[in-house]
Amino acid sequence: MAVGRRDDGAGHDVLRRAGEASVLILISLAGGPRHGYALIQDIRELAGVELGPGTLYGALDRLERLGLIESLPADDRRLPYRITAPGAAALRVHLDSLERVSAAGRLRLRLGGI
Amino acid sequence: MDGPRAARLIETVLRCYPARWRRRHGEEAAELAALLIRDGSPAGSVAWSYLAGAARERLTPRPGLRLTAVACALLVAACALGVSAGLLAPAAPARAASTSQAPGRAHCRPGSPEPVPGVIPATGRPQVIIWEAAHGRSC
Repeated sequence: MAVGRRDDGAGHDVLRRAGEASVLILISLAGGPRHGYALIQDIRELAGVELGPGTLYGALDRLERLGLIESLPADDRRLPYRITAPGAAALRVHLDSLERVSAAGRLRLRLGGI
Repeated sequence: MDGPRAARLIETVLRCYPARWRRRHGEEAAELAALLIRDGSPAGSVAWSYLAGAARERLTPRPGLRLTAVACALLVAACALGVSAGLLAPAAPARAASTSQAPGRAHCRPGSPEPVPGVIPATGRPQVIIWEAAHGRSC
């Protein structure tokens, strides 16, 4: 089966290959600015995923380079991040895409009687 | 692992990151590690995560350094080719000299090839070449 990329007019999904950590960080930051430790705690609560600190900083740097998040002035030693407008748009496109795939999967399971 | 030892381990691992990264995240990363260890995360797993992150940080080409990375990759490839050529060069005269002993080598005689696991039996010239390549010798 060929796997193609289709935008369906919904915009280019820049998070398609960004990895789970990046998507979870964006989802967490969609709830408000957070620093590293708060992000790890929030992601553990919302997704049950234990994000390693090395993975976290790698994803934060990548997202910042892409302009999807930005750092705020440091609070003591902690550097808070917030989602940018392009970041929110990218997250929306990605979640829409996941929703479509999820719906298709559920439909096929139903039709297949599994 | 006790507190001071864990702190030393994390400090050592954080030194693996590039200086630019340490300037930006170093203090916060050390504090974050301490908080995670306090919460019950094993110091080893926190250190491992930082170590993997440091490796990624050093191996991932940054946009501004893409040309430098390409140049380095070409240099490494050239060095690897040079080393390979250097290793093969001394073997060539020895191989040439050994051709005089060919009649004494049973595997060079037609009709008596040694069976090689995973290599299709030779029935024509191209397959003889494959057999020779598998042995790293020529008749």
